[in-house]
Amino acid sequence: MNINHIEPFIEATVGVFRELFGLEPEYLNPYLVQKDDRNEWDISGIIGIGGDSKGVVVVSLSGQLAAALTAKLVGGPVQLDDPDIVDAVGEIVNIIAGNAKKGLEQYRLEISLPTIVKGPDHRIAWQQNVPIIGIPFKIPMGRFHLSIGLENIITG
Amino acid sequence: MTILIVDDSRIMRNIIKNTLTGHARYANCQYLEAPDGREAQRLIQSQAIDLLLLDWNMPMLNGLELVKRLRADAVQAKLPIIMITSESAKYSVIEAVKAGVNDYLIKPVSEKLLMEKLERLGL
Repeated sequence: MNINHIEPFIEATVGVFRELFGLEPEYLNPYLVQKDDRNEWDISGIIGIGGDSKGVVVVSLSGQLAAALTAKLVGGPVQLDDPDIVDAVGEIVNIIAGNAKKGLEQYRLEISLPTIVKGPDHRIAWQQNVPIIGIPFKIPMGRFHLSIGLENIITG
Repeated sequence: MTILIVDDSRIMRNIIKNTLTGHARYANCQYLEAPDGREAQRLIQSQAIDLLLLDWNMPMLNGLELVKRLRADAVQAKLPIIMITSESAKYSVIEAVKAGVNDYLIKPVSEKLLMEKLERLGL
């Protein structure tokens, strides 16, 4: 595992939560995600990576936390089924992936438009040949999870 | 002044618009919105726009391609364009400037930086 190449994603995540929400997320040790594990989250925002590497950046949250963060962005209460939640989670993962590119400028990386997967214990179709690194984050409102896979960059 | 905000995130369009309307100078501007480059191009062709605030990664037609099309059009060649995007790599900034943007702002949007860039453009 090349920790130097995970750092831009951690820094981008901390920066996005600081700038967008005024929050300072804490993060726990990165670990190798077992792809068959059940996903304990309600919503995931996914960005595909192309260019010099193939991979993915995923932010996963509980529905309650996603609604609470969306409420901060729109400046009012948000119900769990509000379509603004999809918009907000997509924008969060988009900004994290885009901001992380600054720390990986030796590679020419392209990011896709975000896609959203919803539902309790939803599954993500991970690429088979790309190891996924998981990083748990914690903010006062709850926990969320960042998953990153970059072929031949983060893991060989 | 008519300002066109183009971003596939409705929330982000609102954040940018609310940031601007919080300043007396921009409170009474006319604001138009588009969720992608194609709709933005249609709006630009149908009415006078004084400032384009443009995301990069969008469906249908992305921001960079829209900039190239506008700069190839004699009528829109001088339309002030600020690209507001998550794309943070230097090579992205260079690519956008070469395509013809007047300035470049990396998301999350900093109110202070946005105001500085508008002032620099004399708007």
